[in-house]
Amino acid sequence: MMIHLAMATGFLLILIGFYGALSNRNLLRMIVAFTIADSGVNLVIVAIGYMPGRTAPILDATVKAGDAAARVIDPVPQALVLTAIVIGVGVTALMLAYAYKLYEKKRSLDIAKFTELRG
Amino acid sequence: MQFDWMKIPYSLLTLFIVVNFGMILTAFIAKIAARVGRRNGIRIWQNYADLIKSYGSRSSITHGAMFYLAPVFRLTGGVGLLLFVPTIYGSSMFSNLSFAGDLILALYFVFFGTLGMALGAAESGHPHAAIGVSRGLSQVTTSELPLALAVYSVALQYHTLSVTAIVAAQQGGFEHWTLFTNPLAVAAAMLAFLGSMMRPPFDVVLAPQEIPIGPPTEYHSSYLALMQTNRAIYPIAKIVVYMNLFFGGAGNWPVFFLKVFLIYMVSVFVGVVFPRFRVEQSIRWFLIWAVPLGILSIMLV
Amino acid sequence: MPNALYLIVAALAASFVLGLLSPKRCGIAYAITLVTLAFMAWVSAGWLWAFVVGGAQPVEILTAGALPPYAINLRMGRAEAAMTLLINLTGLLSALYLKESLFKLGHRGMAVLLVAIMAFCGIVLTRDLFNLFVFFELAAISTAGLILLSEDDRALSAGFKYLIVSQFVSTFLLIGILFAYHATGTLNIDTMATSARLLQVGAQGFTLAFFLMFIALVTELKPFPANGWALDIYESAHPAYSAIFSAAAATASLYAVDKLLLIGGASWYPMASGIGILTFLAANLFALPQSNDRRLLGYSSVAQIGLILVVLGQRDLLGESTSFIAIGLLVSHAVAKAGLYWLSGLVQKRNLIDWAALRGHPFLVFAFITFVAMLTSLPPFPGFYAKWELVRMLAGGGRLALLALILVGALIEAGYLFRWFGYILKREPPTEAVSGEVHKLVPVFVAVLAGWALGYLWGDLSGTGRHNLLLALPLVFAVGFLLLDWLPAWVKNTLAITGMVAFFFLTYTEYDPLRLIFALIFLIGGAITLLASYDAHGRRIGFYPAAMLMVAGMVMLVRAKDSFEFFAAWELLTIGSYFLILRGKHSEPHALSYLLFSLGGAFLILAGFAIAAQGVAPFPISALGQVAPSLAPWVFVLLATGFMTKTAAIGLHIWLPGAHAEAETDVSPMVSGILLKAGLFGLFVLLMTMGKQQLYGIELTHVLLWIAAFTALLGNLMAVFQEDAKRLLAYSSIGQMGYALFGLALMNHLGWLMALMFVINHYIYKSMLFLSVGGVAKRTGTREMYRMGGLIRLMPLSFIAVLIGIIAVSGVPPLSGFGGRWIFYNAILASDYRMPMVIIFLAGPVAFLYLFRLIHSIFLGQLKDELRRVKEAPFWIVLPQMLYVGLLLAFALVPGLVLRRVDSYLNLFFPEGGLHWEGFEITSDYGYWNPVAIMIVVAVIFVSLFAWLLFVNRRAQKVKQFNIVFSAERPYRPETTHFAWNFFAPYRKALGFLVQPYATNFWGTLTDILHTAGDLARRLYDGNGQSYAFHFLVFVVVVFGMGL
Repeated sequence: MMIHLAMATGFLLILIGFYGALSNRNLLRMIVAFTIADSGVNLVIVAIGYMPGRTAPILDATVKAGDAAARVIDPVPQALVLTAIVIGVGVTALMLAYAYKLYEKKRSLDIAKFTELRG
Repeated sequence: MQFDWMKIPYSLLTLFIVVNFGMILTAFIAKIAARVGRRNGIRIWQNYADLIKSYGSRSSITHGAMFYLAPVFRLTGGVGLLLFVPTIYGSSMFSNLSFAGDLILALYFVFFGTLGMALGAAESGHPHAAIGVSRGLSQVTTSELPLALAVYSVALQYHTLSVTAIVAAQQGGFEHWTLFTNPLAVAAAMLAFLGSMMRPPFDVVLAPQEIPIGPPTEYHSSYLALMQTNRAIYPIAKIVVYMNLFFGGAGNWPVFFLKVFLIYMVSVFVGVVFPRFRVEQSIRWFLIWAVPLGILSIMLV
Repeated sequence: MPNALYLIVAALAASFVLGLLSPKRCGIAYAITLVTLAFMAWVSAGWLWAFVVGGAQPVEILTAGALPPYAINLRMGRAEAAMTLLINLTGLLSALYLKESLFKLGHRGMAVLLVAIMAFCGIVLTRDLFNLFVFFELAAISTAGLILLSEDDRALSAGFKYLIVSQFVSTFLLIGILFAYHATGTLNIDTMATSARLLQVGAQGFTLAFFLMFIALVTELKPFPANGWALDIYESAHPAYSAIFSAAAATASLYAVDKLLLIGGASWYPMASGIGILTFLAANLFALPQSNDRRLLGYSSVAQIGLILVVLGQRDLLGESTSFIAIGLLVSHAVAKAGLYWLSGLVQKRNLIDWAALRGHPFLVFAFITFVAMLTSLPPFPGFYAKWELVRMLAGGGRLALLALILVGALIEAGYLFRWFGYILKREPPTEAVSGEVHKLVPVFVAVLAGWALGYLWGDLSGTGRHNLLLALPLVFAVGFLLLDWLPAWVKNTLAITGMVAFFFLTYTEYDPLRLIFALIFLIGGAITLLASYDAHGRRIGFYPAAMLMVAGMVMLVRAKDSFEFFAAWELLTIGSYFLILRGKHSEPHALSYLLFSLGGAFLILAGFAIAAQGVAPFPISALGQVAPSLAPWVFVLLATGFMTKTAAIGLHIWLPGAHAEAETDVSPMVSGILLKAGLFGLFVLLMTMGKQQLYGIELTHVLLWIAAFTALLGNLMAVFQEDAKRLLAYSSIGQMGYALFGLALMNHLGWLMALMFVINHYIYKSMLFLSVGGVAKRTGTREMYRMGGLIRLMPLSFIAVLIGIIAVSGVPPLSGFGGRWIFYNAILASDYRMPMVIIFLAGPVAFLYLFRLIHSIFLGQLKDELRRVKEAPFWIVLPQMLYVGLLLAFALVPGLVLRRVDSYLNLFFPEGGLHWEGFEITSDYGYWNPVAIMIVVAVIFVSLFAWLLFVNRRAQKVKQFNIVFSAERPYRPETTHFAWNFFAPYRKALGFLVQPYATNFWGTLTDILHTAGDLARRLYDGNGQSYAFHFLVFVVVVFGMGL
């Protein structure tokens, strides 16, 4: 149940993000929309790795290395999501840099104003 | 290669006969045409008089090399055409120089004189000459077409391109003539014949009233003499081809004279009755009336 | 061998170091960048060397101390080595090229560049899906970073559009990867491929996951329509970045898709092919109306990648050959596109026409054409071998629709690329000069070298070494002239003539009698025509490589044993002649239409051979006779149409008049008198091997007969109405080729002999006429005949050549044209068909019209005042004409010298109906002909009469020009007296309706439709980043719908 709820929420966030990116002409709003979608993706990834009744994949006193395989959830998505978050931050930063430069150039944040390249 | 040197004097004899026959025949026909118009016409030896007059002309000019050579081309064309075709069937004496080539040679050699003449006339720089040539060439593209089809049809019919062999196949009575065995081809060819005789309705090339005699307009004196000689030879040489292909050839000189005269008269009859066509009119006329006959003849043969 | 991980480590380390440097130390930073990239290239090269020469096995590179699938692994194999080398070299050369920009950007910019190159290498090397994702993101970030640093303002918006789409893409990719992992329990590509096999049935979830990954990676290949962002980047980024983007990034992405297809398996191949071919066609179509150079190159890149995607999608059919083909196309694309982008940085302005600035720099022009030839898959470049293999196998597998689409797209691509080449050579150069900095020229130079080296390599790889075109002596000879182009023209001319004659004498024993005739015309005939080229002064840059390329192609054509050699030769002669024709002053549009028709024809030939071969290689030409009856007629149609494009059969003829008329004086005889025979040779070969074929009960040779008859008629008719002397001759060639084709299509002994007679005759008289007319045009400065007149006295030798020429063309005895007519009549008597003869009979006398017009309007009639000082044509132009006069007379007298052996050779095909040769007399089944006797008789009569006229007319006076009278006036103005303009007005009235330009209108409308379609459809790319994102989503939905 939890998995499905998390996954559904994740996909909903992705859709909201995509909708936002497509329906807003303001660059900053688009970037925000993409971060929402990114969060959705991350949520989905975590949900994929989740297994009911298991614990976090951290080897400590409660979880011994020997029986870890049976007790912890799949660690791979957990690891991947970290990478994905980092990359997401990088891309967002880059997009913001772009938005800044674009604003400098035209004093506008409207995506529809930047169409000098076409056809 | 063995060459029978006697062919040379024999050929010259043929030439001599045909020249004189041609001189008299053309005068005679001019007289007939005049009588149709209720005129007296020229005297029967007028052509000889003209020839002598031309040779005797005191003024003589030239516009250049091609101009000078054109009458030579013209007459070579006529003489060659005559000599490349056997005149009298069955006579080795009057088979002339036909060993050099067959029917195709004769057909293509027709253009030798025409081409040379056109070139010489063009060099004279006279616009009427050029206009005449333009008209003549235009007309010949379609007026020769029925003849080409008829020749093709006849060659298919007899499975040969040798004139002698074609005549041989028509021997044994007039019902064996191509005229009766392949009438469509003959009809097409005779329409083409009308187009090539420079008589109305197809004489726009010379058109004496508008471009005074067209291509030969600048020719005079001995040039003209050569061309007059050709005018005597050339129609007959051409008619000989028609006679051999379609009318059973001629076994002796009297038959020859008669057939040539009668074939000639076809164009005369038409000529005195019809007015002149413009070039595009005659082109259309040949395409509409003569060419289908030719096509039918090659389909049916 | 250094560990391949160094590719990644070195770049990371170097960019780390760069980050630490002080911003002032730009020189050191730049040095570090170059050294790192050089090192990376060296590593890749070392591996490639080890694989290719050392025969090493692929190496797995493990990380984190665990075996896959528990840890990331990378692989270095032969393909990986090649691709990373390509990427690193592109990076290195671009970095060199970017010197100023990088100095301006400073060390951070260099670090970003290194990361980008590293990311591309990583994409190629990794075998782990998530790792792949990471490298892709790295590539995206660094690419966007590079764009951010560009100078062009517009690049900013392009980069942002790119980021928008890449956000969508990465979302899809990431979710896809995770779900695929969920379904298979692994992230390793190879392991996943194995477990995916087991999952196949009913694994909806996995299929969806794979779809998400697939669509994401395919989007990196810029598929239509989800590629607007890419085009904007191509247009606005610094050309060196575009080079990286086009060559390196595309290489990496393609390899990623290839790896992914390993997982997806054969069921995804059709999807890949579909996307690929759609992209290929659409991008080429959109490129057609482009005028911005970089955007056009962008479209071309997109198209090329689409084509390679098609190849990947055909893996089920291509099997082992996939990599040969795909990599062949890929390296061609990468080298050429990188080279072109680098070139575009040298040109100051962005319109295609501004590339005319290159004209003053022969090397750059050579570089450009090398790249264009690589892109259009012309020999001897790798794409040619790849295209040949691809087409062969597609046809063998029966995938004809795909084959046809590929060829159509390739033709459009050739259209816009060669149109561009025409601009370079023919348009007015802009005032801005080409930038000539060494560090910018070096990359271009390397790319050119790489192109030729790869051509050699692919030739070697394509099976037996015999097929390596760069080892073929004639081609080597031709290419050698590129290196000798600094010599004066007369030296090169001597070399060329010597080479051609020597080659003939070395090889003449190897030909059968028929091929001997063609070899004679191509080599000795070509050498005679080249005599006229001694007239040219200076160095004549570019003429000899082109001319020799054409000759090489023709020689190789005659010597070709199998279909590959034949086709390669065909393309070589096409390109060579295209360059030659393009040299004419106003020949730009005509050369282009020539090339397009020729390439279209070549593609038909290619398809024909491929279908005939059914996958067999090598496919001997003689095996055309054994093609399965169900295919044979189609093969016949394709090949015959292809060859008829070259002989300019009616409907396919519209390129000829312009191409032949606008060519230079000594080029016209080459392309008309000699080159046209290549098409006839093809038809000879076709009919000799395949004979009569029936399609739906229609005898195809009968169809050819009709086509030939109408070609003869309409070619002649169109010639009649020309005012331009060279156009007149060109149309006349169309008619003459119609006659030759007619003879061939008669399918009997004499028909073929007649065709051969036309081959010889047409070579002699058309070369002669083009030279005379060319000489006249040179002296008078015009080709309009009515502006001339009366030149006989000033140019007597030219006149004699034309006179002899027209007598021969018209077929009047006693010259050699008559022999052709005589054989023609004998041939049609033996034929089964009669109706087409009607048309060809009509065509015959029409020739007189234009021939008379030609000689009259130029040489006879009235001399114009402004031409009174004109001199005879130059010696070197007259000399070959006089040789031709001699040849023509000799051939007229003793045709047996040439024809007799061919006549008996033809007995192999038609034992019946040959000629009998006795002494000088020639006899057929129907008639006889004695050329010597005819000549003697005519000569004797002529001379006697001439002597007589000389005697009686000895007092004749030469008079002046206007000594004529008409309409009772003495004319004084030559313009109003010279009857020449619209000479056959009444004829136009009567038959003009037959020569309405239907074919020209048809082809014109077709190109207009293509242009308009491309122009309308490209409005799809409205420049808005959101629209591009929307396109991407539409693309996803459509592909998803198709996939279900």
